[in-house]
Amino acid sequence: MSQDKLLAPLTPVRRRPGRGVSPALRGERSILRGMGVALLWMVVVISIAALVWMVAQAFRDTRAILDDPWGVPTSLDFGNFVRAWTVGDFAVATWNSLLTTVVSSVLTVAIAAPCSYYLSRVDNKLTQGLSLYFILGLGIPAQVILIPLFVMLNKVYLTDNIIGLNLVYIGVSMPFTVFLLTAFFRSLPLEMEEAAALDGTTAFGTFWRITLPLAKGGILTAFILQVISHWNETLLALTLLQSTEKYTLPVALISFVQQQTYSGADWGGLFAGLVIVVLPMLIIYVWLGRRLTEGLTLGMGK
Amino acid sequence: MTLHLTEPRTGGAPAHSPESRKPGSRKPGPRKSRRGSRPGGSSIDVQRKKLLIPFVGPAFVLYTVLFIVPALGAVWISLHKWAGSGPMKFVGLDNYGRIFRDQLFLSSFGNTLLLLFVVGTAIFVLAFALTLVLRDMAGKKIARNVIFFPHLINALVFGVLAGFIFNPGGMVNSLLAPLGVTDPPKWLAQDNIFPLIMVTLVCTTTGYFTTILMAGVDRIPPYYYEDCALAGASAFQRLRYVILPLTWDVFGTCAVLWTISSVKIFEIVWVFGGSSGAGVPPTQSWTAAVYTYVNAFSGQSTPAYGAATASAVLSLALISVLVVLLRRAMRRDAVEF
Repeated sequence: MSQDKLLAPLTPVRRRPGRGVSPALRGERSILRGMGVALLWMVVVISIAALVWMVAQAFRDTRAILDDPWGVPTSLDFGNFVRAWTVGDFAVATWNSLLTTVVSSVLTVAIAAPCSYYLSRVDNKLTQGLSLYFILGLGIPAQVILIPLFVMLNKVYLTDNIIGLNLVYIGVSMPFTVFLLTAFFRSLPLEMEEAAALDGTTAFGTFWRITLPLAKGGILTAFILQVISHWNETLLALTLLQSTEKYTLPVALISFVQQQTYSGADWGGLFAGLVIVVLPMLIIYVWLGRRLTEGLTLGMGK
Repeated sequence: MTLHLTEPRTGGAPAHSPESRKPGSRKPGPRKSRRGSRPGGSSIDVQRKKLLIPFVGPAFVLYTVLFIVPALGAVWISLHKWAGSGPMKFVGLDNYGRIFRDQLFLSSFGNTLLLLFVVGTAIFVLAFALTLVLRDMAGKKIARNVIFFPHLINALVFGVLAGFIFNPGGMVNSLLAPLGVTDPPKWLAQDNIFPLIMVTLVCTTTGYFTTILMAGVDRIPPYYYEDCALAGASAFQRLRYVILPLTWDVFGTCAVLWTISSVKIFEIVWVFGGSSGAGVPPTQSWTAAVYTYVNAFSGQSTPAYGAATASAVLSLALISVLVVLLRRAMRRDAVEF
């Protein structure tokens, strides 16, 4: 079975047979509709143009950008990136972000997967209660736990510490990941597990050797969703990290913006910074787009 | 908060358990009788139950220690007067009374409500309109993929870009100049920032909700539309009697999602307009989340942890009330198809 097939139970999208749409399905050609379509394509074009524009500006120096914001770069000048990388401390921040994102996302999925498996396969009062308990976290906004978390971590010297931040990300991501993976494990067929059990595989063995390989698609989706949310997370990182060499990218970007209040706007460097923040997301999206929209729209929200 | 999107595939009951797929227990009895029908379970079930501690334990502990305990801690701290260090003084509900007399909190909370309701309404109207347009448009996949992308970008980016686009010599004004606007509004004046933030949020968030709604609309099998055409239903009737009822649960989910995510909005306000002077955005654009952060960590005054957490706890209360109300209002039997 291919991964696509396995992800299918999560997918509500019904593929229409064939490319052509039957006449009954075609919308009526009203003026309002035409305007809607035109407007929509305009939004699409503007969105793409804005992205291209942002990347293009990152290759121009500040004076050129301010003189003519509509201009295109005349040469491929990496000066902005070099400056952002060195002066703006983006090098360290990128490394911190990368490390935090990968480590916390891997651990989140590794810890949430067995838990979700258990919750999806054992059905009793306890697991129903536990599922509800995990879902509860989906509704708690980050600002609620901000201050107590800071106080707690400060007591054990984990503020201003990448390990502390990783731990926080893992804990905070549990509700969503458990929720998503539980739904996913439920959608997997039971027959193979039963067959394996009949052949004498232990309960852990069926999970490790049968279900996990089957669930690769869902687990990858969960992992990528965590990568995106941890890469972009700002409020907790801003609170928990204080020294420049610990900053993650969003925090470095904020501090770069705030420095400019005093040192004059370095729009070239700023655009380079924005590109460093956005580009990885774009790459992931182009690479795994379909899986992502499915996971996000079905897992419902970050 | 149960989210229903996956159900139509897996079946009716919200907590659909895999066991019910076994032929013996397929009859749609209430959950209790199904559980009762397999008292001991097979040996694999018994074995599986023993995995509770190793499988659920780590997730449970991490989640409890790093999420639930701090959340309860927030309620506890909100009942005290505390500057972060030194003794905590129990003051009961005083902090709540204090922030309700604080003009700054009221305006911040008001802004959060504006985001929640005004921006929310705009997003929903637009997203639904876009969904209807996109439903049978040529090239809808491309369009949908493009409008979804902003959801993956840190909101900081939009805030910083807005500072560039709207600054006095910036792009918007240079666009307006040929149109005869010689005296453009001061976009980034302190009073204008919040409306701009609202507009930006509508632009960047609509695509995400459109994608979700579309997932719901795409799920409607084509023969319903064909039936509509045969029966001579008008476009409005089709909308009213087919599309809306069949996507109702998706709307509910979206409303819950927006409620939760709008209350958290922080980053975009924090940097909107590029540079914000002392590092704190103008008070006119504060949201409840910004209020919490500034009161505790800005370093501009003595940290007031009590008031800050009280504000956060109120946000949580707002979410809880709204989610419960929404679930009530949106509750109707999901149409099976």
